[in-house]
Amino acid sequence: MKRISIVILPIVLFQFCGLFHIGGISEALCQTLIPSWFEEIPKSPTGIMLSVGYCGKYQDKNLAKQVAINHALIIMAKQEQIRLIFEVEEFADGRLRLLNPTFEQFYEESILSRIMQDYKVLDSLSTEDGYFVLLSHPSSDRLSIKSTGGKSWGSQPRWTKELPGSKDFVYGIGMVGKYSSCVRAWKDADEYARFDLGKNIEIEAGSIHAVQRDNRFIIESKILRQSYDTTLKNSIIVARWYDAKEDIYYSLCRQSKPVSD
Amino acid sequence: MKKLIVIALLIPLALMLVNCGGPPKAKMQDIPEWYLNPPQAEDVLYEAGDAAKMSMALAKEAADSRARDGIARAIEVKVSNMLKNFMQQSGLGEDAEALEFTSSVSKQVANTVLSGCRITKREMKTEGSQYHAYSLAEYNLNPLIQETLNQAKKQKSLYNEAKANLSFDDLEKEIGKLEAVRE
Repeated sequence: MKRISIVILPIVLFQFCGLFHIGGISEALCQTLIPSWFEEIPKSPTGIMLSVGYCGKYQDKNLAKQVAINHALIIMAKQEQIRLIFEVEEFADGRLRLLNPTFEQFYEESILSRIMQDYKVLDSLSTEDGYFVLLSHPSSDRLSIKSTGGKSWGSQPRWTKELPGSKDFVYGIGMVGKYSSCVRAWKDADEYARFDLGKNIEIEAGSIHAVQRDNRFIIESKILRQSYDTTLKNSIIVARWYDAKEDIYYSLCRQSKPVSD
Repeated sequence: MKKLIVIALLIPLALMLVNCGGPPKAKMQDIPEWYLNPPQAEDVLYEAGDAAKMSMALAKEAADSRARDGIARAIEVKVSNMLKNFMQQSGLGEDAEALEFTSSVSKQVANTVLSGCRITKREMKTEGSQYHAYSLAEYNLNPLIQETLNQAKKQKSLYNEAKANLSFDDLEKEIGKLEAVRE
């Protein structure tokens, strides 16, 4: 009797926990301490571009700094100019639904080399979770960012739910959730934000819809295709926010409106 | 003793059955108001889209693309109606050529590049292990006028001018009136 109870009790507990999602990963894996310029990038004078680089935990602080700087340099090159190719296809025939998005991006090595020759580390912060660095290009003494140390995430910004409206800028929002690595999550959220911005500028859309009806059922079939191939210039990740409750990472990308608009 | 074993076995079975209800459905209070009742405006089109996926990025992509597809389809209907109105007002009737022209131009406009079609609102909800994304697409109708004109001119060869006596100057004037688009 005892043996049976011992076997059955864990099964009952397992089912109960599974049903009510008890015992899962409840604690956020993301950074809890961040520099203020990671959450919202400061305004820079005309002609100077800022970029934020980050990396995860490293035993060697110098190596962490170098990895974060390299990341910031690549982001700077992408900010200056990046070609984005996006395509999404969706097929649905009433039984099967397939979604196939593809994302491709290309940035110029020559731009990266030019940036690497002329940049300045404005500020950096080392926390338990990683290393953050803020760069400016070109290196200039006109801009100085006073280090305020680390801070925790602020309250949920409005842009996470509603795209900012502006006459001068186009925005894009990237969001990802439930990543085991916050560095990977931020990288993906930043890239998705850039692709989202491209979609908000211009996208080619086409679809075929068919509906079959009989006395009992309605079967909807659909083929949908949307794509664009564009080059973004001066697109900047201006803000980030982490929703610790839902474990969602948000990035906001901004670019000046094209002159033709 | 036997009863106890049966009861103990039935409890996990009952819990398993409870879990076998298929994917969880969206709660009404979780659905954004703008999804159920998209905003209305004279010179702006709004369409909402949604998708439930295991991956948040995929849910967002699917919801966004469905909302944008809604805009493209609404544009097709709007342009088609606009051209049909013009055909009737011009006394061209609804012969096969006129219908083909109307359909061809409206499809071309709808399938063309959507400039400035933005996802203005987005909400992400969790339903069990799935993400349910809701997106609201917004499209300003002003660029539509020029696009319709361009496509109408491109499709001109489809129409037998000699027979129908279609004046593209009149069409241009008609399309130029934003009121016609706002109907």
